[in-house]
Amino acid sequence: MLAILWCFAAWTSTEPVEGEIAARSNAAVKDVVLDKKRVAVAGRDVTFSAEAFSPEGRRDALSAVEAAPGVRLVNDETRLVPEAKPFIWSAERDVVRVTLAGSAPLPQVKGRLVEAAKAGLGNVEVADQMTLSRGAPPRFDAAALLLLDQIGKLKDGKITLSDDKVSLSGMARELGGREAIVAALKNLPEGFSVAANDIKAPPYVFQAYKDPVASTVTLTGNVPGGNVHADIAAAAGRKFFSEKVVDNLKDSVGAPASFAAVVVPALGALSRLSTGTLVVTDREVKLSGDALYDAAAAQIRAGLGANLPANWQYKAEITVKPPAAPVDNTVCQQLFADLLAKARIRFESGKADLSPDSLGLLDRLTETALRCPTANIEIAGHTDADGDATQNQALSEKRAQAVADYLVRGGLPANRFTAAGYGSTQPIAGNDTDEGKAQNRRIDFVVK
Amino acid sequence: MIMVHVAQFFWGWLLASLLVGFAMGWISVVQRGEGVTGAPGRALWALVGALLALAIGRIIPGRFGYWLDLGLVMFGLYLVGCAIGAWLRARVVARSTPPA
Repeated sequence: MLAILWCFAAWTSTEPVEGEIAARSNAAVKDVVLDKKRVAVAGRDVTFSAEAFSPEGRRDALSAVEAAPGVRLVNDETRLVPEAKPFIWSAERDVVRVTLAGSAPLPQVKGRLVEAAKAGLGNVEVADQMTLSRGAPPRFDAAALLLLDQIGKLKDGKITLSDDKVSLSGMARELGGREAIVAALKNLPEGFSVAANDIKAPPYVFQAYKDPVASTVTLTGNVPGGNVHADIAAAAGRKFFSEKVVDNLKDSVGAPASFAAVVVPALGALSRLSTGTLVVTDREVKLSGDALYDAAAAQIRAGLGANLPANWQYKAEITVKPPAAPVDNTVCQQLFADLLAKARIRFESGKADLSPDSLGLLDRLTETALRCPTANIEIAGHTDADGDATQNQALSEKRAQAVADYLVRGGLPANRFTAAGYGSTQPIAGNDTDEGKAQNRRIDFVVK
Repeated sequence: MIMVHVAQFFWGWLLASLLVGFAMGWISVVQRGEGVTGAPGRALWALVGALLALAIGRIIPGRFGYWLDLGLVMFGLYLVGCAIGAWLRARVVARSTPPA
C-alpha cells in the first residue's frame, strides 16, 4: 500500500519539484555576472555550468546555488572565462560596416560598446565578433569607448587595442580628421599609449580651370579658410583680367605648408595659358594647357618649378596653341587697345619691375605683336603727376623698356620696338583723384 | 530536512501515508498479523538503516536520490501514523473492555 503511494508520489511530484528548484537556482544567481549560464536539475540535484569572470564570482555563484532552498547537491561544472594574453580588442571600419572584434572583459561592457557603435555612427551596420575574456587592462572600457568615437572619423581603417597600446591605420573621412584623432587620443585614460598611428588624410586638392570659351576661371577643391582664401581669390581676380573668377573653394584644414605661396604663382602661370588646368594635390603642382607662344611655354615649364619650396613637386604639360592668323597694322593697333582697355600693365610700386599679376596680359600683348610681323611699335610709358617730374620721366622710360624687354624675351625682334617715356605729360584723366591717377599710370602700345 | 522547502508538491502524499499508517496501527491492535521477527526482521531493519544512510550521505544522485528521500519520509510518516493509530486504538480498547 505504502509502496504504491510512494510510486504515485514519485511519479507526480518529480517534475514540479525539479521545475521549482531550477527556478530558485536561477533566481539565486540572477545578479551574478556569468556567461553561458545553464542550470539542469535532476531530482533535487542541480548541475550548474557557467563561465565566471573572476574566481570570486565563480565561488559566489556556486555558493548561491548551494544555498538555494530545496537544493540537495550541486554538480559544479563552472569554469573561469579564458584569459586573453595579450588582451586585444579591435574596431574595423569599411565604408558601411563596423566590425568589433577581439576580447571584451564583461558582457555589459561588450553590450555597451555595441550600443555606443550603433549610437555614434548613425546608419552603419555594426557586427559584433567580440568574445569574452579575462585579462583586460584597467580602464579598458573608457579607452575602448574613446577609440570607438574615433572610428566615426575614419572612412575606412582599423583601431586595435593590444593591452594598453593603441594602433591606428586607415583613411580619415575628412580633411583634418587625422589631426582631430590625434587630438582626441591625448584624452586616452592613464596607462594607455599610442603605439602606431598610420591614419592617412584624404589628399588636399586645389584645382583651377581656365575656360576660354566661357571666359571663366573656376576654382574648386580645398583652401585654408580666412585670409588665405581671400588672398587667393583676390590674386585670381588680379591675374585673370578678362575672365570671370568662379570661386567654388571649400574652406578646409590640413593644407600643406606654404600652400598660398605655391598656389598664387601657380595661378599666375595658369593665367599665361590660353586654356589650362592647375591641380595642386598635397605637395604636387600639376599644370597643363596651351601656352600662347613657344617662349612662353618654355618659361612656364621652367619657371614655376624653380621657385617651389622644398618637398614640392612640379609637373608641367604645356603645349603651344596654334598661332592665330596674321593681321594688318590697323587691326593690330585695335587688338592692343582692346587688351589694354581691359587691364593695365602693373609694376612694383615706384619701380620698373613688372608685377607677376600682369604676366597674363603681357603674354597676350606678345601674342598680338607676333600676329603683326611688319608693325613697328612704340611702347609708351606714362606716370601720374605725383612726385618729381624728372623722376617720373625716368620711371616711365624704364617701365616702357621693361615691357619692351619682355616682348623681346618672347621671341620678337628688338628693332621693332621703341620704348618711350612721357612722364606725366600726357594724362588721360585728372590727376586730382586716386582713380584718375591710376588711369594715368599706364603703358600704351602705338603701332607705327 | 531541506525537503521541507519543496513539500508543497507532495504534502498530499505524505498525509496519505500518515493516514495509511494510522489505519494500519488502528487495526493492528485487534487483528495482529504474523510479525516479521528474527533474522529476516533484522535484515529488514538493516535495509532501512542502509537506505537511511544512503539518503543522509547523499550518495544516490539525481532522481533516484529524490525518490529515496521521498520514500523514506513517507515511510517515516507511515511509522508515525502506525504509532499514533495503535496507541489510540489501544486506549479505546482498554477503556471499552470491562475489567475482569
